[in-house]
Amino acid sequence: MLFDINEKFAAKLSWSKTSSTTSSGSMTGGGGGGGGGMCGGVAQACYVYPDAPATPGIVTPDVTFNRGIYMNGSITMDDGKVITMWGFTDTGSNGTQVNMGGNMGGGDLYPSPAMRLTQGQIAHTTLTVSGNMWVHTIHHHGIEPADHADGVGHITWDVDGTYTYQWRPHQAGTYFYHCHTNTPLHTEMGMFGAIIVDPPEGPGTLFHNGPTYDAECFWVVDEIDSSWHTKCWSAGTCGDDAGLNILQPDYFVITGVDASGTSAKNNPPISGSIKAGQTLLARYISAGHQPQFIHLPAELNATVVMSDGRPLPNPVGTTGFRAIAGERYDIIMKPTVTGDYEVRIDIKDWITGNVWGTAKTNVVVS
Amino acid sequence: MKRRDFLKIGSAGVAGSALAGAGLISWTPRAEAATINKTFYITDGTPTMITGETVYLRGFSSSASSLNVPGESMVVQEGDTVTIKIVNTLSTPHSFVIDGMVDSGTINGGQTKTVTFTAQNPGSYVYHDKLNAPYNTLIGLHGGFAVMPYNKPNQLYSGSPTFVQQYFWIFNDIDPIWTKAIQAGNTPSTPYTPRYFTLNGLGGRPPGAPDSGNPNVDAMVDPRSALRGSIGDRALVRAFNIGLADQSVHVHANHLEWLTENGQQRADIWNKDCIYIEGNMGAFDAIYPFEVPPDSYPPVQTSIYPMHCHTEMSQVADGGYYMFGCITDIYFE
Repeated sequence: MLFDINEKFAAKLSWSKTSSTTSSGSMTGGGGGGGGGMCGGVAQACYVYPDAPATPGIVTPDVTFNRGIYMNGSITMDDGKVITMWGFTDTGSNGTQVNMGGNMGGGDLYPSPAMRLTQGQIAHTTLTVSGNMWVHTIHHHGIEPADHADGVGHITWDVDGTYTYQWRPHQAGTYFYHCHTNTPLHTEMGMFGAIIVDPPEGPGTLFHNGPTYDAECFWVVDEIDSSWHTKCWSAGTCGDDAGLNILQPDYFVITGVDASGTSAKNNPPISGSIKAGQTLLARYISAGHQPQFIHLPAELNATVVMSDGRPLPNPVGTTGFRAIAGERYDIIMKPTVTGDYEVRIDIKDWITGNVWGTAKTNVVVS
Repeated sequence: MKRRDFLKIGSAGVAGSALAGAGLISWTPRAEAATINKTFYITDGTPTMITGETVYLRGFSSSASSLNVPGESMVVQEGDTVTIKIVNTLSTPHSFVIDGMVDSGTINGGQTKTVTFTAQNPGSYVYHDKLNAPYNTLIGLHGGFAVMPYNKPNQLYSGSPTFVQQYFWIFNDIDPIWTKAIQAGNTPSTPYTPRYFTLNGLGGRPPGAPDSGNPNVDAMVDPRSALRGSIGDRALVRAFNIGLADQSVHVHANHLEWLTENGQQRADIWNKDCIYIEGNMGAFDAIYPFEVPPDSYPPVQTSIYPMHCHTEMSQVADGGYYMFGCITDIYFE
């Protein structure tokens, strides 16, 4: 049988949710991690399925990442422009904490707090979406769990309440997680964070029996189209033209820091700082929507050893390579000559190939 | 566990109906070369998008009264003699080209032309109209063409990793302003701004949407696109990007074994969950291995996942309608 009639349903679902978190009904965000992505107090959303079912086959985990939602964060760019951001909060986890990302004040992070664990551990990601945060999911991108742990909204469900994703990473490497509800918008708004899976050897080794490193840096490269950052969380889902097919970025970011100028330079753990002869690992996550091209000075002696969480059969030496949305690259650098080396990432247009802007950081070899 | 177990909506169903274009690609190796005959009709039409907007397209169709975008895919064997008859039912000139194998030259409006060639160089190809490039290809005149290696029924090329089933994934994007201009015989003069993103000619329809689950309409269940298999049913995907936007082809649940890029065998096979496919005729071949999702706990053997483009602008239709763009499903059965 080519078509299982029970796998899809014909009835159109239209869902609305009235926010009740402010007495004025004016949903402009505000303190305390309050709601954002407002839609005049009432949001019309289509083809989302609010739910928080029990987790099938749930067991006691080795590590837990508890995540909440913020939707009233903001990032101040170097030119003073303030842009609204959404993301995940860490509401208490026992996994390894990773210092990464731009702190926007109030404890909110962009990118969202990283998850770091060891391969083979049973992990729980428990997402709590309270009433005024609408609905969201967590998809562990590159991690390949059961579909009920895969976090794809719209075709499974969109978390309204608390849901636990259970997964067990089998392969060390670099991954990331992101919201998979109205994904074009929610990921553009910043709803993603890194996942780092360490091998049994622990941090300092990229994968089991793989290369070792003395220091690591995090290049989570994103572009921001500030015109998207005033939209309703459910924009477009009912068929309104929300312009989600057109992304014209005006800011270029590495790991939460405006990287058009010098802010992402000499700013560890975005920038690298090692001594000649040491080994630096850069974990590169292409977190934006547009293609990217990364330029690496030859003096860095850079080698791509892993991509998308899988070791390459043969490492590839590089002074530049392209990446596209969702890809990860793990780059081992063994510079032998002291210097201050600029690393540039061009964010290109997916149609014309023209460069929208360039994000910059550096590696200082002393 | 099926996704439907979680859905809290009514279960009024859509009746399944005749399949769009070719169904699953079946292939039986032959000891002898064969003569393959096929007729394509160059036709046009105005399919209706989810928004109700009609969009002008042309295709290499299976009959004079239909519109197939993409055209029906063909799988032949190395050494076969292939005879293609092309009936141009339109008034505009077109051509039939498989790069490196055959070029019909101009087929004027109302004319019929027959080309004969020997299938060679095993691999994945598109047949397309190369006149007025890239517009005629972009507006729908394209389809998949595969040459299987002689006596190697389960390999892409001699010595490649093996597979047990195969699919074409032909990506495209549509700017209705451009298609109108092409219909009028003009060269588009506006910046290319695609509003619809398709896989084998269709966009997705999430649960609850009109025609969700209809294989003629919904790319998520279109048997040409949706991967279906049990553990071990390794699926070769022959991917082409006709559209002008670069895409990131992202699979859930398994990594792809990335065999070729733009027609060239890769030096090493990388395992990827996202593969970069360039716009304007980019290509790759990859095998989706249908292995137990390696990070599932407890391990699962049956599950449903998406494949979608991660260049997220492609996930919408007409600027909204999330999940009505470039997406299909992967069924572990």
